Amino acid sequence: MTLCPECEAAVVNHDLIAGEIFPCVDCGTDLEVTTLEPFAVQTAPKEAEDWGE
Amino acid sequence: MSDGFTLGVFCTIVRPEEKAILAAAEARGVAVQRIDDGETTFGLTKPEGLPDVVLNRSVSHTRSLYATRCYAHYGVPTVNTPEVTELAGDKVLTSLRLAERGIPTPRTVVALSPEAAMRAIETIGYPVVLKPAVGSWGRLMAKVDDREEAEQILEHKAALTSPIHSVIYVQEYVRKPDRDLRVFVVGDQPVAAMYRHSSDWRTNAARGATTESAALTPELRDLALRAAAAVGGGVLAVDLMESPEGLVVHEVNPTPEFKALAGATGADVAGAIVDYAVGVGRR
Repeated sequence: MTLCPECEAAVVNHDLIAGEIFPCVDCGTDLEVTTLEPFAVQTAPKEAEDWGE
Repeated sequence: MSDGFTLGVFCTIVRPEEKAILAAAEARGVAVQRIDDGETTFGLTKPEGLPDVVLNRSVSHTRSLYATRCYAHYGVPTVNTPEVTELAGDKVLTSLRLAERGIPTPRTVVALSPEAAMRAIETIGYPVVLKPAVGSWGRLMAKVDDREEAEQILEHKAALTSPIHSVIYVQEYVRKPDRDLRVFVVGDQPVAAMYRHSSDWRTNAARGATTESAALTPELRDLALRAAAAVGGGVLAVDLMESPEGLVVHEVNPTPEFKALAGATGADVAGAIVDYAVGVGRR
């Protein structure tokens, strides 16, 4: 378990993998898994101008 | 598959699509080397430990362009190739290629200054759609209904600092139903097709469009395959609209998302991508 860097809600690893993007269940901020051991997250990178499909 | 073959997955972030690709590779016993596009460096000589093929899943067009060129320099094939990445990642180049190959596409004029853009807009006639040459998800696109709107949007574009906004891609507004079509092509096969419904004129899934499986009619299949082949082939999502004159291709996406498509159709898109990439790596 870790804390959301935005709202400090508890964030639990439910089958997440390193690098995965997922929303905080409390505030909806997109988070990125930085490490699994220990489980740590950061705010997901912001969309850049050249991002797309 | 324990012969040392390795599939490189080059990505910025791990979305459901990349997670599905990693799972599909694992299910097939394909060893994967994940490559973070923000961490990697590329020297001029081939480094040790490169994978046999690199599947590009970077969301950055710029990083995709340079990375695929560097892997090509090392003799490592990429999906998609640098040429396809460059062409399909740029709406101007894509439109030129579609026109060269006789593939129906909306009327488009490219302008390189706001003044020229105003002439292009008035040549096509209102309403028109302005799109950035690079980027997707409907970002910074505008439907322009009259001259006043055109002047305001061009003024805003002129204030944007990135040089890419000095390229103004003007396209006719296609009067279509409240939906468009996406066909996902892998190699020479269409994997699945879906409708994207939206009351907004933009039908990007990223903007909340709802999706529904679509039948791969012979016409749709043929047009999607021709469009994919026109940009060089590979893993591509071909977007089409139902214009009053028939189907038109408006985009071909070189690093497509497929969560919505897989959900709507049940197609194993990730599996098809992995199988194709492995095939490219073993050629």
